[in-house]
Amino acid sequence: MGFRELLQKPGPVLLDGGMGTMLQARGLGLGEAPELAALEHRDWLVEIHRSYVEAGAQILCANTFGANREKLARTGKTVEEVIPASLAAAREAAGGQALVALDVGPIGQLLEPTGTLDFETAVEIFAQEVRCAVSAGADLVMIETMTDLQECRAALLAVKENSTLPVMVSLTYEARGRTFLGHAPACAALTLEGMGADVIGVNCSLGPREMPALVEELRRWTALPLSVKPNAGLPDPGGAGYDITAEEFAASMAELTALGVKFCGGCCGTTPEYIAQLKRALTGRTLAEPERRVPAAVCSGTCVVPIDRVRVIGERINPTGKKRMKEALLRGDVDFMLSQALEQVEAGADILDVNVGLPEIDEGAMMVRVVKALQGVVDAPLQLDSSSPEALERGLRVYCGKAIVNSVNGDAETLDAVLPLVKKYGAAVVGLTLDRNGIPQTAEARLEIARRILERALAYGIRREDVYIDCLTLTASAEQAGAAQTLEALSRVKSELGLKTLLGVSNISFGLPARPVVNQNFLMMAMTRGLDLPILNPNVEAMIAAVRSYHLLMNVDREAREFIAAYGNAAVEVKPVAGGARSLRQIVESGLRGEAGAAVRELLETVEPMEIVDGILIPALDQVGADFEAGRVFLPQLIQSAGAAQAAFEVIRERLSGQAGPESGKGPIILATVKGDIHDIGKNIVKVLLENYGYAVIDLGKDVEPLAVAEAVRTHHAPLVGLSALMTTTLQSMEETIGLLRREGLRCKTVVGGAVLTREYAERIGADFYAKDAKESVDVARQVIG
Amino acid sequence: MPVEVRELDIDEVLRYMGCPPERAEASVRVLAERAVELLLREIQPRWAWRAFRLTLEPDGVRLDGGLLLPGADLKAHLTGCEQAALFCATLGSGADRLIRRLESRDLAQAFAVDSAAAAAVESVCDQVELELQSRFPGHFFPFRYSPGYGDLPLSLQNELLDLLDAPRRVGLTASADHILIPRKSVTAFLGVADRPVARKSRSCLGCPAREECQYRKSGGHCGIS
Repeated sequence: MGFRELLQKPGPVLLDGGMGTMLQARGLGLGEAPELAALEHRDWLVEIHRSYVEAGAQILCANTFGANREKLARTGKTVEEVIPASLAAAREAAGGQALVALDVGPIGQLLEPTGTLDFETAVEIFAQEVRCAVSAGADLVMIETMTDLQECRAALLAVKENSTLPVMVSLTYEARGRTFLGHAPACAALTLEGMGADVIGVNCSLGPREMPALVEELRRWTALPLSVKPNAGLPDPGGAGYDITAEEFAASMAELTALGVKFCGGCCGTTPEYIAQLKRALTGRTLAEPERRVPAAVCSGTCVVPIDRVRVIGERINPTGKKRMKEALLRGDVDFMLSQALEQVEAGADILDVNVGLPEIDEGAMMVRVVKALQGVVDAPLQLDSSSPEALERGLRVYCGKAIVNSVNGDAETLDAVLPLVKKYGAAVVGLTLDRNGIPQTAEARLEIARRILERALAYGIRREDVYIDCLTLTASAEQAGAAQTLEALSRVKSELGLKTLLGVSNISFGLPARPVVNQNFLMMAMTRGLDLPILNPNVEAMIAAVRSYHLLMNVDREAREFIAAYGNAAVEVKPVAGGARSLRQIVESGLRGEAGAAVRELLETVEPMEIVDGILIPALDQVGADFEAGRVFLPQLIQSAGAAQAAFEVIRERLSGQAGPESGKGPIILATVKGDIHDIGKNIVKVLLENYGYAVIDLGKDVEPLAVAEAVRTHHAPLVGLSALMTTTLQSMEETIGLLRREGLRCKTVVGGAVLTREYAERIGADFYAKDAKESVDVARQVIG
Repeated sequence: MPVEVRELDIDEVLRYMGCPPERAEASVRVLAERAVELLLREIQPRWAWRAFRLTLEPDGVRLDGGLLLPGADLKAHLTGCEQAALFCATLGSGADRLIRRLESRDLAQAFAVDSAAAAAVESVCDQVELELQSRFPGHFFPFRYSPGYGDLPLSLQNELLDLLDAPRRVGLTASADHILIPRKSVTAFLGVADRPVARKSRSCLGCPAREECQYRKSGGHCGIS
């Protein structure tokens, strides 16, 4: 019987139990790699598998949990040797009585953005395992004990791209209901079902008694069959053993059939005895399987946003009409985008739209970079916004969670280019009600296009709940009759097709006076007609206020809790005193970041921007720098002052970019934390200080390959490169980077710094300058660039 | 035993920030206090340990006849110890995420949280050390010793974590370049001796940066090694 037949059969399916503990019991030595058992202790392995078959297991996990090239590297064996041998041992023991699964465990290193392992490298590591398993004839793949949803995605993608095998995916959670990295069962369920898992489950870390809450959460967010493989209770902190018996284990597990758990087995500490008891306890049990209907929702790895009320999509990460964002994209200033993201989330955005399309840059590469960086700091799900299927796919690959793709339209060509991506990566999709012939005038015609988009999406296997329709806002000043048609179309999409709706709101008022008033009222009208997902600028308080009011008045915000939380204290809120009290110079010297912006704005009314820079900001920074050198102030004050000056410069920059073309800083200076090193706070302090002094800084980030540094120097004709390293082990990368710059004949100077670096070492590795702190790096820049 | 960090010594945080506590301005003290408040909400300290019998060999120290810890410094440090407790401790990934989040908007606050996290890891290790000492009544202990001290290579991290089954038990891993992730984590050996040994004091021994180190100047320790 194949896996798919097993799936169709009513009643529970029995899995096997622990392997590591069984091997140790037979004498596997300390430090011996358990993955090599098929090569070195084949008899033990076959016996253990066989005892599970005799206990009643219907699926055996081959002993391949750690059989990836990273973990095997230390053993001198290859994936190609270990996996076929392990599968063969399980197959022999199965004797036709059980199916054999390739067991896939974590690589052992964390992926970006939490760790340093690149996503595509992880996919390739898993793909190698899958290819071996396919040629060795595995019946299915079991991905398990994952703590990182992103790693789970990499493994699942590797299975889907390299086989047609069924795949069970299971993560391990702590008692608080999250993985070590904070991923929730709900996020795992939405994400993995979207990407084509066949079974979703929980294994390891906890005992069967802790399972019901996790299973309940999974059930709400996936319609797939569920699996549970707990440990034999909770572990002893010293790693000595687990706390429940086989009988207790079996009794608790059998209860889970009432929650619809179809696949039952054991993890660490369980033995064939546990599985035999489990078989007895499951005998005669039927599964409670009411039909599950998963509501419309999107998620990141840590946060689910169900589309069960108005959810605000922040529109600010988009260069269209935003000069500062455009500049940030051209310079690769990801920090600016992160600050925009955080600001929007704090203002009330539930989801963030991400559009990084500019003709001058590689959109796909930038999409990858921005998605990774954003997911490192914000929990809000993202809406990937691009007209390029290539950029969308690159973004979707690295996005952890269930994203929204913005967008397709009624044109068959875009539908066929983008919908397969939406399906493959399990996203939701926005359908614009336009096609080759443009935007239809009437609501009826827009509804027709929406219908066409829906049908196509369904044909690709995309869930109805994952199709959101944008009936398109037209500018009221140009087409006054349009607004009513948009609202009518929206209302009909909602009632006749039953789909969620999305609308860019801000366009409506283009070319009109009192734009916020028009926007706010249009938003309110749209919400009452059934708008679910307004795209807007959440920093405009009136818009968020409209959404909050709507929820209040529609009785969504029960007992007005959210409304009162937002506005209940408005009267007592004291605004910070703007300017006046303190001079800008004092503000910078004292590091009062919060006051800097207002003070500069006030000064700008009477003083020229450059006069403020040269006459106030730079002297203030010089003073703080001199005090720092003399030991009168310390590092925190230096950073605080730099932060205050940065806030002041930001205002001046806005003013300048309002007037002239893009202002060019001196330099530019390339900064990077070297390959292998991920400490970048020191480098970031240097960056802020250099920018304060008017240098254009291209920040390549951390863990940067020598080649990438050389390429940046060449592309930007940079006269100075700053390299940072904080570990004794990564000083070597610093040396390699400098060596490469020299070999390539690049005429730039190098300055190095970092806690473990010394002047002597800097000289030895051929750096031109050593900077012991951020202040000294400014001195170096002045010397090299002026 | 679960480990908790309920409060941190602000002076200690200030030292990690490179600022002698007695000379800290009010605004810097506020920054440090806020950092502690933000950090303590985000961390989930976890730890794991395992005891090993030690054999001193010409090239280093061997654990239970398995892994060899190379070099002279650890061997000298553990002389007189028949066994050692290997442990790891981590604040979890929440601290890393908090610091990343602050970095793009308020570097001074990010820096202060980074420093507070260094103090928090030390506090966790101190608690773990006391707990371990209580498991070996009547024994004696030199100070805890980590990869990166002296000539004990950082490249051991991955194998030490494997011995503790740390990725599965506490979610602690090492990158290909041997950096612990989550970042705010430690692995260390606590020697266990039957007879009194010199406690010795933890110092910046072997650190190439000791002469110019900001932390040392303000009376602290960087928390890296």
